[in-house]
Amino acid sequence: MRIAISADGPNLESKVGQRFGTSKYFVIIDKETMAFESVPNPGASSLHGAGVEAIVLVVSKKVDTVLTGYCSPTAMNHLLNNGIEILTGVEGSISEVVEKYKKGELMENMGVEHKIESGSSEINRVVFIRSLKSSARQFVNILPTLSGVVLLIGMFNTLLSKELLSSVFSGNAAPDTLWGACFGSIFAGNPVNSYIIGGELLKYGISLFAVTAIIITWVTVGLVQMPAEMAALGRRFALVRNIVSFFIAIAISILTVTVLNFIIG
Amino acid sequence: MNGEKSQSITWKKRVIRSFIFPFLVLLIYGVLFAVMPEKAIAAFSSSERVLLNIIVPLGFVFILLVVFNIFLKPVNIIKFLGKESGIKGMVLSSAAGIVSVGPVYAWYPLLKELREKGAMNFLIAVFINSRAVKPFLLPVMISYFGLKYVIILTIFTIAGSFVAGYFTGALTKD
Repeated sequence: MRIAISADGPNLESKVGQRFGTSKYFVIIDKETMAFESVPNPGASSLHGAGVEAIVLVVSKKVDTVLTGYCSPTAMNHLLNNGIEILTGVEGSISEVVEKYKKGELMENMGVEHKIESGSSEINRVVFIRSLKSSARQFVNILPTLSGVVLLIGMFNTLLSKELLSSVFSGNAAPDTLWGACFGSIFAGNPVNSYIIGGELLKYGISLFAVTAIIITWVTVGLVQMPAEMAALGRRFALVRNIVSFFIAIAISILTVTVLNFIIG
Repeated sequence: MNGEKSQSITWKKRVIRSFIFPFLVLLIYGVLFAVMPEKAIAAFSSSERVLLNIIVPLGFVFILLVVFNIFLKPVNIIKFLGKESGIKGMVLSSAAGIVSVGPVYAWYPLLKELREKGAMNFLIAVFINSRAVKPFLLPVMISYFGLKYVIILTIFTIAGSFVAGYFTGALTKD
């Protein structure tokens, strides 16, 4: 059984690190043999995403239990999901803490979060409920925009005439695809909205070429999130990727619809 | 872990921001109702029909989301990315992009870190572009466009993400 302890230093005399995500080291000990290794926490110096790096490290070291001072609920969820038990509120030197843990003393007075053991149906129920909750959250997240889009389409259906729309989308596949790609590049957000918009546009007789271009660029080209992409991955990367993706989206539209027409005959 | 407070603030901001758009649409409805009430009612009932069309596929979307959340943990997705290179890296980053959920900007910080750790631009672009394939949204897509279209589009989208990744890698510093 392997225990990972967040630590301020690399040896057994070091103090337990009080924050899981940003403590300097992880001391990983085999409970039976007491053999240990210490690993610097790659997330110790970074302010954002530190927890993620610590989680990845602990998971990749195939640890069974984590002892730490404090662990954020998000990180705790990830650890539990990976079958790792967490004990928080742990203080003292590493060697003291391990002895206490072996005697079972830590269990009694600390805020212990029991790990999820795969195989047991009781635990599978816990996993299921947790997934249900996070799915519900993801689902609720898309609802405001989705309802906005649905209401807007209803309005378009009522107010927009076919003539007006066909003055933009001429029915000529090449310019229509280009327009579609531009439209999809400006908009972003959950792609389900692009499917609904695309599906409705088809009813107006707009070509599948254009609709496909909208669907692809909706996700792969994003003018709205371009500043964020530049900040994270660099100006050059963001510019090149978006421009390249714009043209590839047009190619994908042409290929997809051509092949589809060929198959349908 | 640092930054929890700021995380909850950005979360709040995001929730508020997500309501701006539907709120604006309702505002337009209000204006329309004041000017042309019969048109506004017609628009509303037309929206109802759109909603009825997507409600069953959306139910499937929810079921798929639950299945995805049970079997795929973000941590596992991160482990896939950037570590390996060659064909394996390509397959893994494409797969990671396909199964990744949530808005793309939520993934930027992570992608940034991966790149600082040496993940290739090529693979990061493959990841971002593969996100156009959304397995859990397939019910909605199929209900609008049919199965054949969806299959063909998915194949070309995945292929396209590799082409986009290749050019992005070649034209940046890779």
